[in-house]
Amino acid sequence: MRIKRRLQAAALAAAAVVLGLLAVQGTYALWSASAVASPGTVSSASFDTALTAVNTGQTTTMTLPDGTAATLTLSPAGTLGPGTSVYGGLVVTNTTTAGGQFNTAITASQPSIANVNGGTLAGYVTVNAKTATSSAECSTATGFAPVGTGGLASPTVAKGGTTVFCFQVSLSSSAPSTVKGQAVNISLQLTARQLCGVPSGC
Amino acid sequence: MKNSTLVKGTAAIAVGAALLLGGGGTLANWNAEATAAPGIIVSGDLNVAKSAAGVWKDRAGATIDINTYKVVPGDKLTFTQDLTVTLAGDKMAANVATTGISATNGFTSANVSVSAPALTVGGTAVANPLKPTGSAQTVTATITFEFLSSTTGRADATASYNFNNVAFQLTQVTQAGLS
Repeated sequence: MRIKRRLQAAALAAAAVVLGLLAVQGTYALWSASAVASPGTVSSASFDTALTAVNTGQTTTMTLPDGTAATLTLSPAGTLGPGTSVYGGLVVTNTTTAGGQFNTAITASQPSIANVNGGTLAGYVTVNAKTATSSAECSTATGFAPVGTGGLASPTVAKGGTTVFCFQVSLSSSAPSTVKGQAVNISLQLTARQLCGVPSGC
Repeated sequence: MKNSTLVKGTAAIAVGAALLLGGGGTLANWNAEATAAPGIIVSGDLNVAKSAAGVWKDRAGATIDINTYKVVPGDKLTFTQDLTVTLAGDKMAANVATTGISATNGFTSANVSVSAPALTVGGTAVANPLKPTGSAQTVTATITFEFLSSTTGRADATASYNFNNVAFQLTQVTQAGLS
């Protein structure tokens, strides 16, 4: 009988302790208040570069809406005779929608000259290039130089700014008459690159 | 005749007793009166509220309009929101904290870096719990959004990052003397 009573007492004590703990963990109601801020939505700019052919006025964006690279034909004016040159040009515009600084530099790669229809003209054709500030400079013969393996880089083009690439296609004066009437495809790549705008470096 | 003396004596005692009994009717002990005026109990206050809309600034510290500003790789924008904290009460103490950012992210995660809201009072990190100072206190919440310059190609052009709502809570904490 004594043991039973002790057990009973212990059970009662245990029950009381549990109840006490439950009571403490139940609701902890002191004052509280809250405020809500709405920072909004941060949107990124577009990375657009507009290209305009000097001779034809044809324009395109550097990247097409489907994300692929555009192709622009420059159509140098005039016909090519031995020892003569024809000229073409390209106006590049930084048309980004950026809110802050967005400087770019455009690089023209070394041109590749390919014969069309199995001719031999390519060996007698040289392509030189220069950067300019206006499309009118593409008609003058001065300042042209071959494009190195690293390409020809434009000066910095700021948001909304433009730069001009001029190209000179020359036929060697030693070109034989057998190349008369032949054609070549000259192509090069243009790359626009954002310049670091972080004061501490990128 | 002895009988009458005895009777008188008895009568006198009886009357005296009756008189004594009559004197025991009303009990007039000393008493005194005083009034106390406990006064008026006034409760304190606890509140947190935005004092004005938050402000976005660019890396150079110039204020921008987030609805029209478009970020590019290398941009770092900072959002600051002032919160007015009201605390009153002799045993008042409260913790201020944020429940964090749950944004709708349209960027590639690797190309953006967004900080959790940092809370400061007068330029130094907030030291909880805050206590009443006699006037409203200003707690500043700061969030930075960086479009990393390590972004390559044309990744995340015309993307958006919606912060949604960022909540701040002020919660009273118990002090010695409270239960």
